Amino acid sequence: MDDNLTFDAIVVGSGITGGWAAKELTEAGLKVLLLERGRKIEHQLDYETEMKAPWEMPFRGQGDTDLYASEYAVQRLNRHFTEFTQNHFVSDAQNPYQTGDGTDFTWFRSYQLGGRSLTWGRQSYRWSDYDFGANKRDGHGTDWPIRYADLAPWYDRIEDFIGVSGAAEGLPQLPDGKFLPPFALNVVEQAAREKIMAAWPERRLTIGRTANLTQEKEGRGPCQSRSICARGCSYGAYFSTQSSTLPAAQATGNLTLITDAAVEKIDYDPKTRRVTGVRWIDSKTKTRRQATARMVFLNAGAFNSVHLLLNSASEANPNGLANSSGVLGTHIMDHANTLSAAAIMPGFEAWTTFGNRPTGAIIPRYRNMDVMDGVGHTRGFSFQGGALQSTWTAGKREAGIGADYKRHLQKPGPWRMVLVAFADCVPRASNRLTLDRTKFDANGIPQLHIDFAFGAEEHAALAQAKADATEMLTKAGGHVIFGFDRPGAGGTAIHEMGGARMGFDPATSVLNKWSQAHDVANLFVTDGAQMSSSACQNPSLTYMALTARAAAHAVSLLKSSAI
Amino acid sequence: MTGWSRRSFLGAASLVALLSSAPGGAEVLRKLDPKDVPSPHMRKLMRTVAELVIPTTDTPGAGALGADDFVLVALAHGLEGTRKPPAADPSFTPCLRADGSLDHAAWLDGKLGPDWLTLPPARQSEQLAALDASAYKGETTAAPWRAIKALILTGYYTSEVGGSRELNYELVPGRFDPKVPVKPDTRAYSSDWTAVDFG
Repeated sequence: MDDNLTFDAIVVGSGITGGWAAKELTEAGLKVLLLERGRKIEHQLDYETEMKAPWEMPFRGQGDTDLYASEYAVQRLNRHFTEFTQNHFVSDAQNPYQTGDGTDFTWFRSYQLGGRSLTWGRQSYRWSDYDFGANKRDGHGTDWPIRYADLAPWYDRIEDFIGVSGAAEGLPQLPDGKFLPPFALNVVEQAAREKIMAAWPERRLTIGRTANLTQEKEGRGPCQSRSICARGCSYGAYFSTQSSTLPAAQATGNLTLITDAAVEKIDYDPKTRRVTGVRWIDSKTKTRRQATARMVFLNAGAFNSVHLLLNSASEANPNGLANSSGVLGTHIMDHANTLSAAAIMPGFEAWTTFGNRPTGAIIPRYRNMDVMDGVGHTRGFSFQGGALQSTWTAGKREAGIGADYKRHLQKPGPWRMVLVAFADCVPRASNRLTLDRTKFDANGIPQLHIDFAFGAEEHAALAQAKADATEMLTKAGGHVIFGFDRPGAGGTAIHEMGGARMGFDPATSVLNKWSQAHDVANLFVTDGAQMSSSACQNPSLTYMALTARAAAHAVSLLKSSAI
Repeated sequence: MTGWSRRSFLGAASLVALLSSAPGGAEVLRKLDPKDVPSPHMRKLMRTVAELVIPTTDTPGAGALGADDFVLVALAHGLEGTRKPPAADPSFTPCLRADGSLDHAAWLDGKLGPDWLTLPPARQSEQLAALDASAYKGETTAAPWRAIKALILTGYYTSEVGGSRELNYELVPGRFDPKVPVKPDTRAYSSDWTAVDFG
């Protein structure tokens, strides 16, 4: 392939938002180059462990602790990381990053075609105006230049295409979407929902809204209730780039896909104040390559998109591309996340379940909405969790040997219920990404440096979440056995976002309301980097909606020759 | 840990033979330190112990199906935190490796004593039950037993017999039923991954 590649658009990154950008732009008739830094993973063909049983795995699905210590020191902490899924996560040894003093940040990454769309938790929630209005109301961060009404039609479009199962609840803080039929609450959760709602009508335990199909959809099969999604799903039953957006983009005939392409710089022409293309390193041949385009979409994942902008500094942009404001890299966020309460749930011993539901239950935010009832914090928290039974692994914690012990472990174990809090993370300038000027990756590119700490607001929210979770599980008939009010390390929620925030003012934000760089009209950043606040529900659906909206705007600008 | 070497290959040969039916068995042993290659005595000890923890009933027990081989490999690779330094206790000193971790198998051998394998099964079971009780009462000198027992359970319930005959296994349930009555013959599902991971 020659290196005079010219396209209408280049999309950097093939994960959740990159796939969407590629789909929307190619369907609009644009010739698109989609660059992915990782290896190619073909839908169905390359899901190597999908059908394996534990006894077919070298370490029975538990993984090699030695290997994990040397290669996956961070990734192994991801809740979806197992021996079955380890090939869908990066090697930390080969992809190092740095953290500042006092920063504890676990950066979970998947460098491969499809990115983290293969390993994501699939929880899909709309944001509301409590979220888009949060910064304006309490003064943290900068006001979002959009509101729910701007995004609602785009949420519709995304849900229609990816398929989201869920139950409509009519809650203003968590707008209903266009749902496929929901998975059912299990017997314990259904009882808990009723008891909690009777005591607190505003607290609504409902089934998680998840991008798993409960009905066949356009060539994708329905979910088989295996709940092993992160291995890859040959049924195409959950939304991933491979199952959903990539085939749509490829069907247009307008897509060029190059994998093993680690983009190192975006080219910028100071005369036109436009980007002209990107340069990358072919990680197989170690050769440097480039392509030009009329516009660039950054979808490398929040932190990597910021990294790329910082690394694209030039004489014209000494502090990084699209950074005349100086705020690039600042105000990064991740939900403050902890197990607020776990309880034993007696009274349901006569019941069990069949199948593995690919989602838990949730309790949407109910604090600090129209009444400011948060103690020490101004925003919200929500819960995810559910009721589950224990099994043989509980035997590790129990005394006993012999035939009676074996018989005991043969039965489904006692019911428990857990509530895990996700608290809104206030945007702060001190939480930021920079380039490390002394440490470089294997390609000689400065490593990313992360400074991050939760503050008083998040700690206060998690303290209240613990108290609330305890009283709710108790009201539901449970005996609470433990709970925490300290957040896990930054990154634990795997909702790292921000760093190229959207805002009204070019002096204090990187992107305008179209996810378009204030400084560079043909540069769009439509992954998590664009977020100006974090809300307390999962962000991926919003990233997708913003991507589709930005793509439509970009196409209209291109067609009117404005860019 | 040393890397792959001819010496470790030769030393591990007998275990390789045992694992040859398991895909990736050779890979498992790639990094096995020669010092961690179990002796015939150690393998007999672990097999006997595994069978006492999960005995043969209407399905084979953990020793009968060889879960002990998994335990020995897992101990060498540090599963269940077994390559982390143990609590400071003088009783562990004779079994510490150069990296500060405890050689759990050697510790168990020492703990049960030189004649344990020659005892009648009832006496073996009695002594092992006493060790188990001490460990779950929180006695430091018995604590390493919990990791060994955890690995016996893992070796058993993630084997084909343990996972699909002793328990049920259904990779593709095809549906989720939220409320199913428990009957006298109900068995748990080893493929209930949420229960396995978080239960």
